[in-house]
Amino acid sequence: MEHFKISDLSFSYPTSGDAALDGVSLTVNKGEFTVFCGKSGCGKTTLLRHLKTVLTPNGRRRGEILFCGVPLGDVPEAEQAAKIGFVMQDVDDQIVTDKVWHELAFGPESLGWDQKRMRSAVAEMACYFGIQDWFHRDVSTLSGGEKQLLSLASVMVMHPEVLILDEPTSQLDPVAASDFLNTVRKINAELGTTVLISEHRLEDVFPYADRAVVMDGGRITVCDTPQNTGRILFEKGDEMFKAMPAPVRAYYSASGKGESPLTVRDGRAWLENSFPNGAKSVEREVSEYAPGGRTALKMKEVWFRYEKDGKDVLKGVDAEVPEGCFYAVVGGNGAGKSTLLNAVCGKIRPYRGKTEIFGKDIKKYKAGELYDGCVSMLPQDPKYLFVKKTVGAELAEMSRDADKIIRTAELCGITELLDRHPYDLSCGEAQRAAIAKVLLTDPRLVLLDEPTKGMDSAFKESFAELIRSLKERGITVVAVSHDVEFCARYADIVGMFFDGAILTSDTPRRFFGGNSFYTTAANRMSRGIFDGAVTVEDVVENYNANKGLQR
Amino acid sequence: MTHDAFSKCHPSVNFVFFILAICFGAVFQHPAYIAAGIVSSGTYYVLLNGKKSIKSFLRLLLLFCFISFINPVFNTRGDTVLFKLFSRPYTLEALIYGASIASVFVITMLWFGCWNKVMTGEKITCLFGGVAPALSILLVTVFRMVPEMIRTAKRIVSARLSIGKGGAEKLSERARSGASALGALASLSLEGSVTTGDSMRARGYGTGKRTSFSVYGFRRRDGALMILVAALAAAVIAFAFRGATRAVFLPERYFAPLSGANAAGLAAYCILLLTPTVMHIREVISWNISKSAI
Amino acid sequence: MKKSWIATLAVFLVMIPLTIYLGSKIPGRSYYLTGTFIIVWLLIPFFMKFEGKRPQARELIMIAVMCALAVAGRVAIPVNHFKAAYAVIIISGIALGPETGFIVGAVTALVSNFFYGQGAYMPWQMMAYGAGGMAAGFAFAKGKLPKKPLPMALFSFLSVILLIGPILDVCNTFLGMPEVTASTLAASFASGFPVNAIQAATTAVLVFFLGRPLLDKLERAKLKYGVGEV
Repeated sequence: MEHFKISDLSFSYPTSGDAALDGVSLTVNKGEFTVFCGKSGCGKTTLLRHLKTVLTPNGRRRGEILFCGVPLGDVPEAEQAAKIGFVMQDVDDQIVTDKVWHELAFGPESLGWDQKRMRSAVAEMACYFGIQDWFHRDVSTLSGGEKQLLSLASVMVMHPEVLILDEPTSQLDPVAASDFLNTVRKINAELGTTVLISEHRLEDVFPYADRAVVMDGGRITVCDTPQNTGRILFEKGDEMFKAMPAPVRAYYSASGKGESPLTVRDGRAWLENSFPNGAKSVEREVSEYAPGGRTALKMKEVWFRYEKDGKDVLKGVDAEVPEGCFYAVVGGNGAGKSTLLNAVCGKIRPYRGKTEIFGKDIKKYKAGELYDGCVSMLPQDPKYLFVKKTVGAELAEMSRDADKIIRTAELCGITELLDRHPYDLSCGEAQRAAIAKVLLTDPRLVLLDEPTKGMDSAFKESFAELIRSLKERGITVVAVSHDVEFCARYADIVGMFFDGAILTSDTPRRFFGGNSFYTTAANRMSRGIFDGAVTVEDVVENYNANKGLQR
Repeated sequence: MTHDAFSKCHPSVNFVFFILAICFGAVFQHPAYIAAGIVSSGTYYVLLNGKKSIKSFLRLLLLFCFISFINPVFNTRGDTVLFKLFSRPYTLEALIYGASIASVFVITMLWFGCWNKVMTGEKITCLFGGVAPALSILLVTVFRMVPEMIRTAKRIVSARLSIGKGGAEKLSERARSGASALGALASLSLEGSVTTGDSMRARGYGTGKRTSFSVYGFRRRDGALMILVAALAAAVIAFAFRGATRAVFLPERYFAPLSGANAAGLAAYCILLLTPTVMHIREVISWNISKSAI
Repeated sequence: MKKSWIATLAVFLVMIPLTIYLGSKIPGRSYYLTGTFIIVWLLIPFFMKFEGKRPQARELIMIAVMCALAVAGRVAIPVNHFKAAYAVIIISGIALGPETGFIVGAVTALVSNFFYGQGAYMPWQMMAYGAGGMAAGFAFAKGKLPKKPLPMALFSFLSVILLIGPILDVCNTFLGMPEVTASTLAASFASGFPVNAIQAATTAVLVFFLGRPLLDKLERAKLKYGVGEV
């Protein structure tokens, strides 16, 4: 039985001539788990929003959408509200009320359910999601993962037949994200709810999906099982192949044929079966990162706590960052990584220890001197820096030198965006515009707080390119991040932040090669088979070298 | 949070009690009634706020003195002239009258202080939910947004600081940068509000008549308490109209005697005002007994 | 006739006279009580009007954002004496009209009380803030005062010093002064004046800098999402 039947749907927004959706046809069956993927702006959000009338954007539209055989527009709003659940990307903004219990009850209240029905539905959902313990809490005290779980629960409370999720985990840290996706999977498996989800983080959903839909430029390019999708993308040489889970990429890049493994477990099995007699690892020059030159940042035994009798957040941080390198700090959520950055840029005062920036004690910098041509920080959300009506005006706020502004805009690749409103930029563009603002203070040390949050693989790549060009200009970059894959690929030195201190720091290869859990998927897959393979490329290189030996 | 038995009652009981307590407290000027008001509101305030009450009490004491001493400046009636101020008599009678006004003020403030602790936003919206659904949802969303915005505002200020904005010494520069930060906050919130609006509509807001989910059940105990409060209040009002609370300060002091029926009025008033305190203490005692039994 | 009009008439013709009459009969000092009840009656028609409009989700949320901004805004400006509330309320009134301006003001006062705790002044604050928002809405309605930084700043200065401040001073008189006479009122106004003047000045400065940008942002939001048509 089909749930949604979309036939030849085309759509364009009133402000732009380009089609956001171009002849999309798709049938979604009851109980199916469908993943939508594609670059930012490929039209997946627009498509998903078309599946619920109140969320459908304004614009020119052609084609037809049937919900259970009835044109969607003819299904009453109240019925849609109950039957089609929609969870959005914004963790904070989609929560309406101030208390957990009220958020759960919001849907039923709006639909005018009576007290008895509401009570049992709310109680049931609270138990199913295990949120009965925080039933009475203020929403503002919840973590990001908890908030997103609450949003899911407050949709599920109306017992929807279809659950639509639009990039639900893009603002969550990896642990919370896979928890969330596991819950979605559980709902699909235990309740038979049809799931349509768009995701960047394919590792966690691909193995369980019935179908993957790849979109590009408003069209569906691939619509097949996850296994076939990987192969088709590889054969077409599609850019989206880079976004596939590590085992899929490694498999096709190495052997190119057949059914790929989807999980790390299956990936290991594949490698072990390929080399039953063990494999030799490609010898690689593993050297210290030693660029020579000066030290940009040196921290010695830095201790800090927020309240006088509170817990220590920084417990003797030692760090040394050479000038001109990209230093990444990884570590769990809420471990105090952001506090570390605040200590580096002098916003908080450690009660013990010493921080030197370019060889000068941070306490000796005068007020304002530190942020003028020395240190600058990019906040987690680039929008915190936007105060004007156009990107050009944003840059002009920072400097009066028109030449410098043009040069910086070119460096960041935002020359075409200068007349745009900063809030109309995509996530990646906004990040670049914010970096441009940061760079206009002429910093020698740039701090980045979770810079790849919410970025898709294409944006990450061009962002890494930008970091590289900063390094070429002699700018030192320090980032804190959850993004293990990104740090493994692009950082020069990776430090592990745990329990208030930087425990180990090393080159990514040695760092992640030495970890067994907190490491990249490629490393987990090849551990014990190839030594020190951290990225998918490493795995492929090892594989090919060993296949050569076998022959 | 401290556990308070009265706070756990149905919001309507809390609401009715406080309205009555504040109204009575703001009107009665008979010294006995003032004493009852101060003692009961003060005790309950301490039970709710603990050590923090001392600071509030000191502030109230200051205001009490100020209001008491200011009255004779405007009011020159009375025979016992203490001294002359700007060639106007400053009389003892007016001072005593001032003290009674100040006491009434203190009682009102104390009851409102208790109100702040007991009548949470959650309870207010629960009370409004049925009568004013739109206002109730508006309040709920504002309660939701304020802590979020405070957090965001701090982040914006901090983010701007690290690109060298907002840390200037000059006041005008700082005010200007503050306005920019506030503007950024407004932009972020307004953009975000579209998602909130969508999220409301996606869950059926505006499709029909709303009902309101209540986490507070109206139990039999609440009903009994409500009847008790209403009966006591009726008694107090009846005695008041019979003149039991009559107090005249000027030109001649006269207070209604506390004998006979009038004593019953005062007793009703005391019982009414002490209800939350008694409930609180009773719970503490029974808790301690059951704890020692373990 | 609309419900809110009936309510308005009821308030002026029945409730207020009745309250004054009963107030005079109450044994004891009844200024504060009578005054506060009158204020509460006066607030009711505004909220009934708001309920009657059955605000749509996006409109409701836009109002909520302005209220929350007024309550939380002071955190964004770490400068002494700069309270964002009045500025945000006045700008809301200018952008969204007198009715919505009143709601933004009144709700801001109500919610502030939960976060910063004051108490006895609450209904008076609701009236004062609401009046501030409403006055701004009337003054800058189509074709009246120009929505430019200077006129807006001047208007804000005057409305804080002549409208919002004095209403709160009246409450002080009712609450703490021995009797309500011309001289005690004057004394309250005089003692409130320095605070009001500082608030008026800082509000004017904020409106001067923030007014235009915030109006543009609201305009942008209204255009982009088709809400809050005045």
